[in-house]
Amino acid sequence: MISLTDFMMVSAGLFCIGLYMIVTKRNAIQILIGIEFMLNAAILNLVAFGKFDRLNNGGQMFALFAIVLAAATTAVALAIILNVYKKYKTIDPGQIDQLKD
Amino acid sequence: MEQFLQSIDALTIKFTLAAVLLPLLAFVLNMCFGARSNKFTGWLSTVAILVSCVLSALIFSKVWNGHQVHQQVLWFTIGNTSVYTGILLNNLSVLMLLLVSLIALPVHIYSIAYMRHDSGYSRYFAYLSLFSFSMLALVVADNLVLLYIFWELVGFSSYLLIGFWFTRDKAVIANKKAFIMNRIGDIGLLTAIIILFAMFHTFDIEKLFGPDGLVGKSSFITAQIEFNGQPTRFESVWILFASSGNRALPAIWQYIAFAGIFLAVAAKSAQFPLHTWLPDAMEGPTSVSALIHAATMVAAGVFLLGRVYPMFNSTELTILAVVGCFTAFMAATIALTQNDLKRILAYSTISQLGYMVMAMGVGAYGSSLFHLVTHAFFKCLLFLAAGIVIHQMGHIRDDNNLSIDPQNIQNMGGLRKKLPFTFIAALIGALALVGLPLTSGFLSKDSILIQAFEWSGDKSVFLKLIPVFALITTWLTAFYVTRMIVKVFFGDLRVAESTPALKVHITDGTWLYKVPLALLAICCLFPFFSANPLVYERSWLFGGFGNATNPEAVNIYHALVPVGVNILSILVIWYGYIIYTKRRANPFPQTGALFNLACNEWYFDSIYQRIIIKPLLALCRASFWFDRRIIDNFIVFFAKFSIGLARLAAWCDRNIIDGFLNLLVITVRTIGNFVRRFQGGKVQYYLYSMLVVILAIFIWIILDGR
Amino acid sequence: MTLVQVLFYVMGFITLSSAIFVAATKNLVRSVFMFFITLFGLAGLYVLALADFVAITQIVIYVGGVLVLILFAFMLSGKENLNYIAGQNNKFISVKKVPGILLAVLFLIVLVNVILKADVNNLAWVKKSIELKNNIQPDAATTENIGINLMTRYLLPFEAVSILLMIALVGAAHLSRKGDNV
Repeated sequence: MISLTDFMMVSAGLFCIGLYMIVTKRNAIQILIGIEFMLNAAILNLVAFGKFDRLNNGGQMFALFAIVLAAATTAVALAIILNVYKKYKTIDPGQIDQLKD
Repeated sequence: MEQFLQSIDALTIKFTLAAVLLPLLAFVLNMCFGARSNKFTGWLSTVAILVSCVLSALIFSKVWNGHQVHQQVLWFTIGNTSVYTGILLNNLSVLMLLLVSLIALPVHIYSIAYMRHDSGYSRYFAYLSLFSFSMLALVVADNLVLLYIFWELVGFSSYLLIGFWFTRDKAVIANKKAFIMNRIGDIGLLTAIIILFAMFHTFDIEKLFGPDGLVGKSSFITAQIEFNGQPTRFESVWILFASSGNRALPAIWQYIAFAGIFLAVAAKSAQFPLHTWLPDAMEGPTSVSALIHAATMVAAGVFLLGRVYPMFNSTELTILAVVGCFTAFMAATIALTQNDLKRILAYSTISQLGYMVMAMGVGAYGSSLFHLVTHAFFKCLLFLAAGIVIHQMGHIRDDNNLSIDPQNIQNMGGLRKKLPFTFIAALIGALALVGLPLTSGFLSKDSILIQAFEWSGDKSVFLKLIPVFALITTWLTAFYVTRMIVKVFFGDLRVAESTPALKVHITDGTWLYKVPLALLAICCLFPFFSANPLVYERSWLFGGFGNATNPEAVNIYHALVPVGVNILSILVIWYGYIIYTKRRANPFPQTGALFNLACNEWYFDSIYQRIIIKPLLALCRASFWFDRRIIDNFIVFFAKFSIGLARLAAWCDRNIIDGFLNLLVITVRTIGNFVRRFQGGKVQYYLYSMLVVILAIFIWIILDGR
Repeated sequence: MTLVQVLFYVMGFITLSSAIFVAATKNLVRSVFMFFITLFGLAGLYVLALADFVAITQIVIYVGGVLVLILFAFMLSGKENLNYIAGQNNKFISVKKVPGILLAVLFLIVLVNVILKADVNNLAWVKKSIELKNNIQPDAATTENIGINLMTRYLLPFEAVSILLMIALVGAAHLSRKGDNV
């Protein structure tokens, strides 16, 4: 049987990759993808632990809701990115530094 | 009587001081006021020397063959040694005193006319007076220190007068040469004086060389040197047995002292090997040559020999004789081939001085001094006559715009018709030089020859050659004198042959020229010196030096030598006359090794140039190079070193000290930049910093929980 | 080593490698398409975690919705954007990325450490649930379970999520309208 630890390792790896993408990438869409990675890692974790809760099935339920919310998040984020692009003509988060001191 | 004598002595001393110091006064006045009154300087010097002459005559009459006058005062004291200064008047002194002033007087009168058109007229008479002063002082000095001072001063005046026309290169070279060679002699004299002082502890000439002088009391012995009572070696020692205590030095010192005296005599009296300066000294005015380099200064060497005569032993005297003879012979051979009138006379002077030195060497003390006096008169006469001839030849050259050398005898001839007075005077001088009877030269020269033969009687074969060579030299003298007189005064004017229509307007000159010539000519004849023209021992001068043992010594030399010499001399004169007047083809070869040897002055000048002058100049250049390159570069090296140090300091200041400040600035700036980035507005940096902090907390918790 | 485990490792490898590819590449198009594969890998992992309905949901929503949305978003944004992206320097490991890599690696280490320390296999409630046979069997019908739970226990979140979706829809639509955008 697949142990929980293995699932958690995969999840940890995926999470860190997502973290790397968020911090390093110069493209807003790629940052978005990084966020998606992190989300997916969390969902994987949920699903892995959900195996041991047959009655309430909290893990899988929560996974579903997370997926849905992730989709909503992505939609709104893309709309924001579109607006930002319209205004600043770039989607490089490094270029958008109007809030600096 | 004592008082009377003392007062007479005091007067004599006063006269001497006056005679000596008057030319000095003339010198000072001429130097101070010379520029203004031109002609006056000449007359001032002449009057000074005239008074000196009169005073000298008075002194001479008092002291000659009388008792000598010696006065001295304390000069300075060093430690236990007191040096005195004073005046010594004995026979030798007063004779020289009279001689010098008597020769200087005609020369002064002659110079007034001779230098009339020269721009340095007053300077000339100033120097002439300086010379007169120093020469007069030299002959009356009573101690060796004073003698040395005036010896040097005489050399210095000679230097000034040789280089009188200092704008000419040749004159400057000549006077440098004369001065340097005289310096070599001065070193010798100084060495000898110091050795004598070390031995005898006195400078006084009377004490050293007088009749019972210390020098006479010293002798050579072979001593056994003891060391701790054990006899070790034998050594030759120069020792003085004196009442004040015995003194001894190794014998070599006496020879060194002799060598010093010899050097001094050789330098001053132009003997071999220091004779080469005298022919070059003819660059000076002719009247200077007459006074200094014929009659007086060059005689100073012989005078010195006369003063220190008692200190020589027989070996040293032999050396003197050999050198003197060699010099006489050599100079006579050179004079045969010279074409410059003054150079012939210069070599003749060297030759006659050789005779004097040789005479000293063979023990003919009186003859040597006799010859000195007679030589002074006839050589001075010859030089003054030569001066007139050269002057007139110069007039011929200037009148006709020629470019001949007025001193070259090959340009002259037949001048006896134009310059009769000069001719007669020169003839008398020439006959005296040859030494024919009825002249003063006969007496002195033959006395030397006779005594030379007597001296060589019991010597080795080599030394017997000395009188023989002296004899040969006499005949050579006759020949070259004839050549000179004939070429100058007989025949036809040679320069007129190459230049037709030559204007020849020359005369004898004014009384200023004639009177000195006349005066000197009279002194060349025998009555001045001796009533008897043929026997030299009867001469008063000879008698003054106490060498005459038996007046008419019956020996063969007294009869043979004068006759033989003079007959042959007359034959030689006749021969020379025929050759040079009839102008037959010259029987003597004009080329060949012997002729070249004689013509080039036995190559002494070139030898000296190559062996001594060139290495010395190379040494000068080397030390100049050393000074310029190494020593100066040493300073430059220091300068460069300081500059390098300064640059290093600048670098340090700029890079290290300023760099430290720059480092601070850069650090602050970097930190600022770094920190600023976190407020850059870049969202990813914000996120990054948050995550770093979270990570740090996690890591800390993990490590803490371990 | 059962087949399930092998399959798990394969799926896990696919997922992670494609995720790394997505992170490493500069080419946006390629990263999006590799994301596609990552999502499929994840779906496989869900299946192996006995959550088949979640897997299908993942594919439908994520791949069919989110991925397509992202694709449309940047495909339609214009050529200059693509060029701009493609024009960046193509170093794999550049100095700028080192802090990111460092951070990710350290995080990974921390997480792995915690996971290993936590020893989740031996948690009390996990053991208890295994004893009580509360774990999902491989042959269980999860869909039925999810349906029942959705309508009974998790009704409120369900309704809330639907309202949230509506809000998101309205908001996104408003945000991306043409006109005077502030």
